[in-house]
Formats: sequence, structure tokens, C-alpha cells
Amino acid sequence: MAANPMHQFQVYKIGPEIKLGNVDLSFTNSSLFMLISAFTICLFLYFGSKQKSIIPSRLQLVAELSYNFIGKMISDTAGSKAKPYFPFIFTLFMFVLLCNMIGMLPYSFTVTSHIIVTLVMALFIFIAVTIIGFIKHGFKYLSLFVPKGVPVVLLPLITIIEIISYLSRPVSLSVRLFANMMAGHTMLKVFGSFVISLGLLGGWLPLSFSVALTGLEILVAFLQAYVFAILTCIYLNDALNLHH
Amino acid sequence: MRLKIPLVIFIYWFETLLFAAEAGMPQLDSKYWFSQSFWLILIFLLLYLSLSKFFIPKIKDNLDDREKKIKDNLDEAKKLSELAEKKNLDYKNEISNAKREVIKIISESKKLLDKNMSQKKEQFEKELEKEINKAEKEILDLKKGSSISINLIAEEISAKIIEDITGDKLNTSSIKASVAEVSKNKIGKYL
Repeated sequence: MAANPMHQFQVYKIGPEIKLGNVDLSFTNSSLFMLISAFTICLFLYFGSKQKSIIPSRLQLVAELSYNFIGKMISDTAGSKAKPYFPFIFTLFMFVLLCNMIGMLPYSFTVTSHIIVTLVMALFIFIAVTIIGFIKHGFKYLSLFVPKGVPVVLLPLITIIEIISYLSRPVSLSVRLFANMMAGHTMLKVFGSFVISLGLLGGWLPLSFSVALTGLEILVAFLQAYVFAILTCIYLNDALNLHH
Repeated sequence: MRLKIPLVIFIYWFETLLFAAEAGMPQLDSKYWFSQSFWLILIFLLLYLSLSKFFIPKIKDNLDDREKKIKDNLDEAKKLSELAEKKNLDYKNEISNAKREVIKIISESKKLLDKNMSQKKEQFEKELEKEINKAEKEILDLKKGSSISINLIAEEISAKIIEDITGDKLNTSSIKASVAEVSKNKIGKYL
């Protein structure tokens, strides 16, 4: 069972079973790693903002760099109107990043490799952005589906396509992250098991692949967190600045 | 019978789905979906609250503080450099002023010295002239006096010579007259 590359995605409960009526809300390894990620973020930011030195320490520098990084990303993609949503985007980015990164540790669990987790986040973003759009622009927000400068003949078709693309946003957002994480970890596991099965004689080639893949996966972990955050910013931009 | 075949197919499909969830992708196992969603929302909410209420303002404060401090320091440095420039200018002005003063003092003292010197020179020249005049007068007096005494001596000598040669005493007035005549003609040669 341990050699099964999908075994690492198994969710099992830790501690007593918690049931709310008919719904199972037990604490699982997934919840544990979410907690670890959140706790790590808090710890990192606590030590990153503890001293108020003019010349920052390394941790402080990283914390301030990530703050500026997200701040610049938001102002570049969604403009100054998106400033109130900075804490949310920052939390989202840090959470996804830390979940991805902690998932890279051997024997750990990758929270974001589960479609339900990414789907809940994506759906939340989708619904929140839609609500923000309707609050800011009222029914005019529907003009998002009617792009300007399109010939009248093509307009119905384009509108239908726009609506479909809008509705598929949560799916694409969640599946992108989940599939990337799952595929990467499965691949790492497969190459790892090759190393074991080929032994000392032939195991070196998959081992080198494994090492290279680990580097690639760390990049992907960062990149997917970045993509998740920047797509959220772009959706937010659509809702805040209609027809820019 | 008609219902049985779809039912069998459905059960088979459902079982394969279950099997897939068990052996294939644990992600599709819906058993813990609610639990995962619940814990995700709870933990994310807590993280969001702690970040937005506590950590992000702190980092922002740190960054703002730094920016302000750097700006303040830069302003102060600018001010100080301006001050230094001003001081430097003042110093240069002072030096040039001092140089001008020195030149003035030198020229003044030179003038004074020149004046003094010319005054002294003049005075000295005057005194010298006076002395010279005095000396010349004295010489003249002396000359006059000497011509008289020369005449006297010449009279005595000539009286004596004549007396020695002739053995006679000659009239003194005639000697005097002849000496006076000779000295009148010849004395200018020697005095």
C-alpha cells in the first residue's frame, strides 16, 4: 500500500470522531496540516515583524518582501480600489504557498492537492467577487458579458461564451491548483519508488530525476500560489473596474 | 427485468467509483469533504483575522516607520550639507576678507613707512645741508683768518730775512704793504 503513489493523498481522521448531526467533521490529517501551515505563517510573520530595526533581519526582510510583493501585485492588476482586499489576498497567497511548500516535506500531507479544498476557496472567491461586482455596479455588472466593439452578429455567441467562461472560473481556478499539486506529488512518489525498485545499480537515474523534480515542484508550489493569488486579483479587477 | 439491467450497470458504475476513490484518487472520496471544508473555512478565517488585525498592520507600521525615518534622515542630511556649504562659503568669504585686509594693512604700513622714511630723509638732508653750510662758513672763516695770519707770518719772516741779509731794520709798514700786495696776487692760488 505504501508504494501506491496515491496513498499520500489519503485523508484519515486524527482523534475522536466529531459529528454534527449527520455530518462528519472529524479532525483529519488535512486539518492538521492546514493548522500547521497557518501556525507557520503566524510564526513567520510574528518573528518577521517583531523587531523594528531600520536594517531588517533576514526573516523581517522576507516578511516585508512578501508584503511588498503582494501589495505590488494587487496594485498592478486591480488598481488602488483593491486596497481593502489586501489582507484577504495576502492571507490567501500565504496560505496556499505554505500548504504547497509544507506538502513538499517527505511524509507530510499536501492540503491543496485535494479538489474539495481548492474548490471551496475558488467558490468563495467566485461568489465574493460576483457579490462585490453587483454591489459596486448593480445590474450594470452584467455588461461584463457584453464586450465592447464586437459585431452585432457575433454578440449572442460571444455573450454565451463569456458567461460560460465566467462560470467556469471557479472550476479552472481550483482544478489548476489541485491538478498541479497532485500530479507533481504523484510524479515524485513514482520516481521515488523507481529508485527503491531499481536499487543501487539502476536507481541513480531516477534519483537524479527525483532531485530535479523536487526543485521543479518547489517552483511549481510557489508559482501556483502566485497564479492563484493573481487570478483572484484579476477577477477582483473585473468586479471593481468594470470595462477598463 | 427491464429495470434490472440499468440497475446492475449503475451498481457496477457506483462500485467502480467507490473503488476508484479507495484505490485510485482519495480526493474523490467524499467521506471527509465536509470535514475538510469545515476546517479549511475555520482555519482560514482565523488566519485571516489574525493577519488582518495583527500582523499586516505591524508589518505596514514597520515599513512606514522605515520609510519615514529614511526620509527624515535624508532631509536632515540635506539640511546639514546645505549648512556645511553655507559654512564653507562663509569661511571662504572670511578668508578672502582677511586677505584683502592683510593687503590693505601691508599697503598702508608701506605707505606710512615710505612717508616716514621720506620725512626722515628730508629732515636729515636739511640737517646735512645746514651742517655743510656751517662747515663751509667755518672753512671760509678759517680761510679768512688764515690769510691774515699768513700775512703776519710772511711779514715777520720777510722782515727777519731782510734783516739777516742786509743787517738793517726795514720799515715795517713798507714790508706790510709789499706782503699785502704779493698775497693779494698769489694767495688765491693756495687757498
